[in-house]
Amino acid sequence: MRLLYANRMNAIKSIVFIFTLLFFLFPTNRQLKAQEGKDLFAVCAACHTIGGGKLIGPDLKGITERRNEDWLIKFIQNSQEQIQAGDKIAVQLFEEFNFIPMPPNNLSDDEVKILLSYINNPTGEAAVLQPTTEIVEPKEFVIEPAYMKKANSRNYGTIFYLALILLIIAFSDLVFTRIIKAKFVHIITMLISVFIMGEIIVVEAQSLGRQQYYQPEQPIAFSHKIHTGQNQINCLYCHTTASESMYAGIPSTQLCMNCHAVVKSGTTTGTKEIAKIFKSLESGKPIEWIKVHNNPDHVFFSHAQHVAVGKLDCVDCHGPVETMDLVMQVNDLSMGWCIECHRTQEVQFSNEFYANYKTLHEDLNSGKRSIITVDNIGGNDCQKCHY
Amino acid sequence: MKVKKHKIVTQGILLLGLMIIVSACNHDKTHPGYAYMPDMYYSEAYNANSENPVFRDSITNQMPVFGTIARGKMPYPYRPKNFLDQLAAGDELVNPIIADPINLAEGKTKFEIFCMNCHGELGDGNGFLYTSKKYLMKPTSLIQPFIQNKKDGELFHIITVGSLSGLMGAHGSQIKAEDRWKIITYIRNNLAKK
Repeated sequence: MRLLYANRMNAIKSIVFIFTLLFFLFPTNRQLKAQEGKDLFAVCAACHTIGGGKLIGPDLKGITERRNEDWLIKFIQNSQEQIQAGDKIAVQLFEEFNFIPMPPNNLSDDEVKILLSYINNPTGEAAVLQPTTEIVEPKEFVIEPAYMKKANSRNYGTIFYLALILLIIAFSDLVFTRIIKAKFVHIITMLISVFIMGEIIVVEAQSLGRQQYYQPEQPIAFSHKIHTGQNQINCLYCHTTASESMYAGIPSTQLCMNCHAVVKSGTTTGTKEIAKIFKSLESGKPIEWIKVHNNPDHVFFSHAQHVAVGKLDCVDCHGPVETMDLVMQVNDLSMGWCIECHRTQEVQFSNEFYANYKTLHEDLNSGKRSIITVDNIGGNDCQKCHY
Repeated sequence: MKVKKHKIVTQGILLLGLMIIVSACNHDKTHPGYAYMPDMYYSEAYNANSENPVFRDSITNQMPVFGTIARGKMPYPYRPKNFLDQLAAGDELVNPIIADPINLAEGKTKFEIFCMNCHGELGDGNGFLYTSKKYLMKPTSLIQPFIQNKKDGELFHIITVGSLSGLMGAHGSQIKAEDRWKIITYIRNNLAKK
């Protein structure tokens, strides 16, 4: 009796075990299928929704009840074949949806079945594919870039006034109070403070009108770090005219929509900032970006000459923009800076236009010159930029 | 002695006050700073992107007058998101670009600027924006028969006004017509034959 009882317990245990095993195995399998179906549907989601209404193609909710499965498999694999074969439903659909063909999908019958079962029962609310609104905290250890250090350590105002006070104290002690008897102390202190003040005055006077380290707040928190740094989008994708025109150009709002028609949630700011693009597009009011790099009106500068002919990289003048969330003018864009580069930068001398410079070509061939720099071809003449 | 102490205290207060005032003279990163002769720095004429009080919509960069055509430009007659117009473009537009090494090299550079992010370096639709999961829809593979069976004019139409589904935006304003043909030539001759 006891033996029997033990046997029965064993049997029950093993049955329970098998059931639990099944219980764990079965949903995993189903979940896997659902995941696979969801991945497959990512392609479809471009034109179709499940219960979200018509887009470019029909709403697929309850499609398995409306249509026969074999027909669906054939149609999903290659719809154009069906239409050319003269299938009534296929032709009717093609006409109804403005003759927009559904691209053929390279899927096996089983894969289509998985896809259909997903469409039948889309677990979760993933019917309309939308990017997740994850806000990613930057985890990497951020090293303050060199240009930021320089930008923050150029506040000499306090030092200037301290030097001024020192000068006044030393002078008044020398003339009026006479606490310290040795006169050379006063003179050295006064010389040092005058030197410090002079230095600061020269530096500040030079930086007048140069806008170095200018970093204005923009109307949208657009990050070059995310767009060109992380997403590796070429600068010229948005600043299209840099290679053909004087100006690099600010992209229009419509250009943003090339990606943001789908990407509606940003990496760091969620939907808040991207919503401003849609608002601008709807109202037709352009976004008022603030220009960071300004050249004075008395200087001619052409992007086309530098980007297309000189083959310079954007970062050569604009600094590491791909690391900046908010763009800052890193270089001072002074005339000395221009001239310095023109003295050292080698010209792309294979350019057909430069065939006119015959003596320079002769010098180059005879070994008299090793490289041709920009000032050799008259790049530093006054009227090249100032006219 | 008392007078001297008083003096030191007043001097100290003065110094502190000065330092507070002075720290306000430091640079403000959001301000462009000052210029010696502003009339030579800032243009009197309106810049292309600057605000303009003359026009009613206060935009300097105005569209051409309705019904006029700019010199050297041809209006694009085919409507976006219309399959029949796309087919018409395929029949009527002819690729003027010869597939020589110079054109192919230029096509490659333009492809890398404007197409590679989504369609991938090989044109198979596995661009970085898709593989890094930033862009969730799979871009179309440019080397599969669905695209390769289309005529050059159809591809030109898609690049110019965007795809039928509207997922690919219009790139006509970004890429010059000549460069669009070069990109198509590059896709046909280099990517599709790999």
